[in-house]
This record gives sequence, C-alpha cells and structure tokens, in this order.
Amino acid sequence: MAARKKRGPRGAGDRVAKLLVIIPWLVKRKRVKLEDVAREFDMSVDDLVEDIMLASMCGVPPYSPDSLIDIFIDEDMVVAEVPSILDRPVRLNTAELFAIVTMGTAAMAVSGQQGPLASALNKLQPLMPTDAASIAVEVATVPYLDELRHAVERGTQVAIDYFAPSSGARTSRTITPLRVFDRLGHWYVSADDDRSGEVREFRVDRIEAMSDTGRVAAPREDVGAKEWFSDAPDRVTLRVASDARWLVEPYPFIDRAVRDDGSLEVTLGVSSPQWLGRLLVRGGKSIEVIAGDVAHGLRNDTARRILARYTK
Amino acid sequence: MEIKISQAERMLNLLALLVSSRQPLTLKRIRHQLAGQYPAGDSAARASFERDKGELRKLGVPIEMVTLGGDEAGEGAYIVERRSFELGDLGLTDEELDALQMAVATVRLGATFGEEALWKLGGERALDVPATSVHLPLDDDNAAALASGVLERRLLTFRYNGEGRVVQPYGLLARNGSWYLIGFDQLRGDKRVFRVDRVEGAIVASESAAFELPENFDPSRAVPTEQEMLAEGNGEADVATVRVDGVLASRVAGELGEAAIIRTLDDGSMEFAVPCRNVSAFRTWVLAMVDRAEVLEPESVRTHLIEWLTDLERAG
Repeated sequence: MAARKKRGPRGAGDRVAKLLVIIPWLVKRKRVKLEDVAREFDMSVDDLVEDIMLASMCGVPPYSPDSLIDIFIDEDMVVAEVPSILDRPVRLNTAELFAIVTMGTAAMAVSGQQGPLASALNKLQPLMPTDAASIAVEVATVPYLDELRHAVERGTQVAIDYFAPSSGARTSRTITPLRVFDRLGHWYVSADDDRSGEVREFRVDRIEAMSDTGRVAAPREDVGAKEWFSDAPDRVTLRVASDARWLVEPYPFIDRAVRDDGSLEVTLGVSSPQWLGRLLVRGGKSIEVIAGDVAHGLRNDTARRILARYTK
Repeated sequence: MEIKISQAERMLNLLALLVSSRQPLTLKRIRHQLAGQYPAGDSAARASFERDKGELRKLGVPIEMVTLGGDEAGEGAYIVERRSFELGDLGLTDEELDALQMAVATVRLGATFGEEALWKLGGERALDVPATSVHLPLDDDNAAALASGVLERRLLTFRYNGEGRVVQPYGLLARNGSWYLIGFDQLRGDKRVFRVDRVEGAIVASESAAFELPENFDPSRAVPTEQEMLAEGNGEADVATVRVDGVLASRVAGELGEAAIIRTLDDGSMEFAVPCRNVSAFRTWVLAMVDRAEVLEPESVRTHLIEWLTDLERAG
C-alpha cells in the first residue's frame, strides 16, 4: 500500500475531508478498535484521536449534547452508535467514480466473471455524470492465468514448459507461483523456480504447457514485496530518441530521465545479452549506448547474425 | 464574544449548519448561529467565511448561493442541499461490496481515489494482498483532471511533445497497461491520440463543460492496434512474405491469425503475409525475432532490411 502519511501539520481541509468519510463509515459499524480505524485510513492513532475529539465537539446550534456529532472514544474503541449529524456518506466525486468503475471493469475482465461485481457496477452507473462508455479498459487474458492464480491461492507447485524467445530455448521446470501480475500488456508470474533455486519472473504467454504437481509448497512470509525484476546481473544506460521510446518503455528501469528534445536516458537491468542485442538492433541508431560493458559489440554481433541468414 | 476555535472545527460546524438548515442562510444569520466562531469585525468575518466556504467547495461540498428578495433583497444566502451532498442508498449487498473491495485491491491505478470511493460506499480495504494484480498507472492529479475532462466534458490543457495543447477529451483507453487520451486538439483542428504518461507536467481541466461528444464514439476503435499500425504508412508495398522458424511459428500464427499463413514447410517453419506499409513498425516487428525470421519478398523490403543490418554491423 502506498504510504500516504504526510509529515507536518495537517490542513483543515484535509482533516474535514477525512472526517466526512470516517464518520459515516463508523456509524455503519458502531464500534471499532481505534488502531483498526487508524490502519484502515492510513493515519496515526494520535491524529485519529485528535480528529474524533474535534468531531465530537461539532454540531448545530445550540451545541447541546444532543445536537453534537455523537462520536466518542471508549478506552480503545471508537463508538458511533447513535445516528447524528453528518452521518450519511457523501457523494462520490467524479475522480472517485472514474477510479472505482475503472477498477471494477478491469477486475471483471481479468476474472472473466460477471457476478456481484457486475451488479455492483450497474448500481454505480446512475451516479456517473455522463455515459461511461467513453472510457474503455482493455485487459488481455492469456491461457493458464486462472490455473496460476489458483496455484498462488493454494500454494501448490506446477510443472511448466517455458519458452525463452531471446535464446530460443525451451525448458521444463517446477515452479511455486507467488504472485501473478501484469505490466504494460504482458502477464507475469513471480515464482520460486526449482532450476535456479531463486524467485524468478516468467511471462505467462511463454508458458507452453502446464500441469499441477499436486504438491503444496511450504508457506512463505515475504511474498508481497518482490514483484519486479530487481536483481538482473548487468546494467546498461541508453539514450533513446523519442521515436524509439516505445521500444524501451515496457521494460522496468532502474533510472530514467526525459530530455528536452523528447529523448530518454534510461538505465535498465540486463537479464541476458541476447535480450539487449535484440533491443539494440530493433532500435537501430535511435538507441545509443551511454554506459554498460555488457553492450560492447552486441549490436554489431546481433546484426551480423541476422545478416548471415539473408546472405547464406 | 469571539471564541478560540480551529478552522477545521468551524468548517464542520458551518457545514452541519448549512446541511441541516431548511432555508438558505445569509452570512449575518450564519454568524449569529455560529456565535463567536467568526471574528467580530465584518470584513474579517467575511474573509474567514469565504476561506471556509472555498475550502469546503474544494472538497466537493455543493454550497449553493441564492440571492434573496423581500426584507433581505439582494443579499446572498447559502445552503447545502442534502440530495446533492449525500450519497443516496445504492442498495449494495455485502457480496457486491466485497467484489468492489477485491477489485480495488487487485487493480493498481496509482491514484488513491478507488479507496476513497470504497470507504464512501461503506467498504473497507482488503488486508490480504490478492494473488493477482493489474497495473493501470495514473497519478492522482492527472487522474482527477482526466476523469472530469472525459466524464464532465471539460476542455483539457497540457503540454505534449514540447507543445501546448487544448483538447476536447472524447475518451480514455487503457490498453497494454498504458492510458491513452483520445480527443480533438483545438489548436491543430484535428483528432489526436495522446499517451497519458508522455504528458509533460500537469493536465488542467476547464471550469465548465465545453463540448459535445461525437456520436458513436468508441475509444477502443479510436486507437489503432499494433497490427493496424503495421498497415498504416507510406511504404511502397502492402504486404511482405516472412518466413518464421518452427520454434516461433505457432506463436506468430496466434498473433497474426490463421488467415495470414501462406504455407507450412516440412521443417515446421511457416510463411506469413504481413502488412508492411509502415516500414519502421514492420522492421521492428520482424527484428524482434532476430535470426529466426526472414523477409522473402518483396525485394524492396528485403533490401531495406539488409541495408539496415549492414549499417549496424559496420557501425562503431
């Protein structure tokens, strides 16, 4: 979860905005542990207590006990048992509607199922300021996605045949899927890999066959953290002209900066020289190598290898 | 007598008052009701009130102003209509709320609006990290501007490719994990597609609705697919014949479709008819297969590839 705790004093507007969300949320639940509320709304217990105290002093004239917002702290619980002023949820703004409808639509595309998500989205539809048809969310699905997801949920191991296009190699391996995620149009599974003994990312569309081994792996603790190719052995820094940026942008980067002329200076982890050679040939002179020994002579060699095919 | 009170507390009291009042209230009445909470002097009270009102409106609270008649003719009076402030009962079931919670946990939009929406709908965030995650990255500020641009038909102003743009945003498309804005670029008088992550700096939405959406607009069709892009260009030839080695052939067949297969050879390799009017897109497509694909004809396209590779082979 992204950290949203801001340092420094909180503005009046932010505090009021949060309270307008928290009060109805509490009224619906009546009694919730202080620390649970703080965690849910990503704020410190101290800030939360301060805001609850503030709300409990507000209301309408004459500010007698029965005309105040009826919310208080009882030991370690926040209590909002009696409906009172400002206890109804406020309307969703356009950005919130956009976000929840987009997320719901994308999630539905991934699961391929309608069910309660579809009916929830139908109920939100009348709130939209205009027809939401002008927003389209395409999420591609590939074979084995469901199987991998179930393997993650059950902690089971699967046997796969995997194809690596940069080397043309096909391997059979047993993996324990940890997470399934998409990046820029491709699905990946992050998994414990028996061949390397490491956590590796595999592109799901390159899995050519899969079967359930029926074995359950020992549970792991540190799953959520690692989700992206962070441990490539080599690095390369490239200057990429604006017309070739699209070639590079799908890859995870270690560092990147856009120059005034629209070119990109980017440092990438290099998982294999074949992969980098291919990128350099595709980009041609629009991609210039700034640093990285791994790139030395790679473009010439790769071009020569392809040319050999045309001249044989 | 003036009492010491924080701005947050006064804002909540002002809001509570305006929501529960049956009729619009003038500042004079508001000051009377919120006795002592605003400064004693007229102009200081007005300034504080304007600040509170501005902050509340910024939060999306619909404070309406009406001009009164009768005894108080000409005076401005304020009210918050419950039905435009509060969320009506949508009748969401627990199951539906759980499904939305799962969606918010699964889809990473970058912006935090999904969670805010979930709370307002009465839900809570998922504690467990779901097995699957989908990334549709957008930052908070741009998400808000794009949403109001597209859904409220406001003009959007931003910089792109080093130039200022004023765009009627027809629609948004998320494809391959990137967001595209499709709209009418008013300064260029033409329909354009913008990749949102390439916008330079902030996107600003105009104050009010400013255009009509063309009929039957479909964002998915407004942005060409990769295959459609191969066919859109100034190249001499329409179609090239490409031989692909057996290891890759079935994947290419899956990508281009069965109709593109010209023949299958004994060694498992296949020949495909591939659109190539967009020469650079075609070249990049073929070279992705490195030495496991070869352009057979037309001669002009084959020669172009050989020259491209020879140039790179010799380059320092």
